[in-house]
Amino acid sequence: MKTEYLIQAAIIAAIYAVLTITLAPISYGVMQVRVSEALTILPYFTPAAIPGLFIGCLVSNMLGPYGLLDMVCGSAASLVSAWLSYRLRARPALVPLPPVIINGIIVGGMLYFAYGVGIPLIGCILWVCLGQAIACYGIGYPLLRYLNKYKRIFE
Amino acid sequence: MIRDITLGQYFPGDSWIHRLDPRTKIIATFAYIIALFLVMDLWGFAIAAIALAIVIKISGVPLKFIIRGLKPIFLIIIFTFTINMFMISGDVLWEWGFLHITRQGLRTAIFMAVRLILLIIGSSLLTLTTKPIALTDGIEYLLSPLKKIGVPAHELAMMMTIALRFIPTLLEETDKIMKAQMARGADFESGNLIKRAKSLIPLLVPLFISAFRIAQDLAMAMEARCYREGSQRTRMNAMRFSKRDIAAMLLMILFMVIIIVEAHIL
Repeated sequence: MKTEYLIQAAIIAAIYAVLTITLAPISYGVMQVRVSEALTILPYFTPAAIPGLFIGCLVSNMLGPYGLLDMVCGSAASLVSAWLSYRLRARPALVPLPPVIINGIIVGGMLYFAYGVGIPLIGCILWVCLGQAIACYGIGYPLLRYLNKYKRIFE
Repeated sequence: MIRDITLGQYFPGDSWIHRLDPRTKIIATFAYIIALFLVMDLWGFAIAAIALAIVIKISGVPLKFIIRGLKPIFLIIIFTFTINMFMISGDVLWEWGFLHITRQGLRTAIFMAVRLILLIIGSSLLTLTTKPIALTDGIEYLLSPLKKIGVPAHELAMMMTIALRFIPTLLEETDKIMKAQMARGADFESGNLIKRAKSLIPLLVPLFISAFRIAQDLAMAMEARCYREGSQRTRMNAMRFSKRDIAAMLLMILFMVIIIVEAHIL
């Protein structure tokens, strides 16, 4: 692992955490429009975003009020979806899709099984998916298009 | 607008709980979460709540501080409680039009709400009494058995440490960019959800460019000082298990046994 890769991942994690913290009121819990999830498009630019988003999610849940369960489930979801996004990088329009689906399933499942939110499992999943879709396609995808002009900063 | 954000949950202190090894606290928190899912009735929760209250008392974290941390999930609790109360069918206690509250519904609603509250308080106690850097060291240690299957535990911990170090720097940077863009007429605070989301783009692009410049400088500085991953490193604050940790582990085992006995034998 090259030093630069490591640092890039760390900085991506820090940006993720910063966005989660500054926009906290809508970032935690059932009402998940976590603006920082827009960053899930970063694997399109650099593979360093895979560990970066994983750590980012871990760190922001470490600083947030939810504790261990969110730390484990949320970051696992981020890791899987970042890896999938990286694999899909040939088709930019599909890059924001894994975080919508994977986070929906894992975080929705967590809300249903662990938090005991009384709506059916599929409802929990779709609810999280909706929030993720707003963040990933609403902000993430335009961000991808803009950042494409500044691609060289990732090199 | 960013000034009034306190970073993290850590409540400085020097209690018995604060001084426990981070590894002990992580394991104990996991155990506590598992215990909450083993509980079958409200008596079990009463035991878990008393145990938690004792730990909070020892930790010296003011109750007000903990309750404040519950605020953002208050909505989830109310939501869950209401849905559970009205949606579950059974012996009707109260009815009004299509709304009905059943005994089973009320029981489930209380059960789930209590579990959720204990779950959140129990696990936030970990971040309340452990510094993020200590937590990172603990996570690294607990992940290190996974090195055998190729998980880069040290590198991940290094990333966490650097990320934690740069959060305040980037917070300041974000604030600066926000003000600069607002001076140019950017509007971050009005409009509907989609419009507000879109308005973040002029914030995110400069933030990225500046953050990646920091990353480049840092990588160069580290390489100039011969940082190389994989080499054996020593620590400034080495973690050490003490008698205190053994005592805490034994107490945790005792707690688990009580919970299991209560739930499955009594």
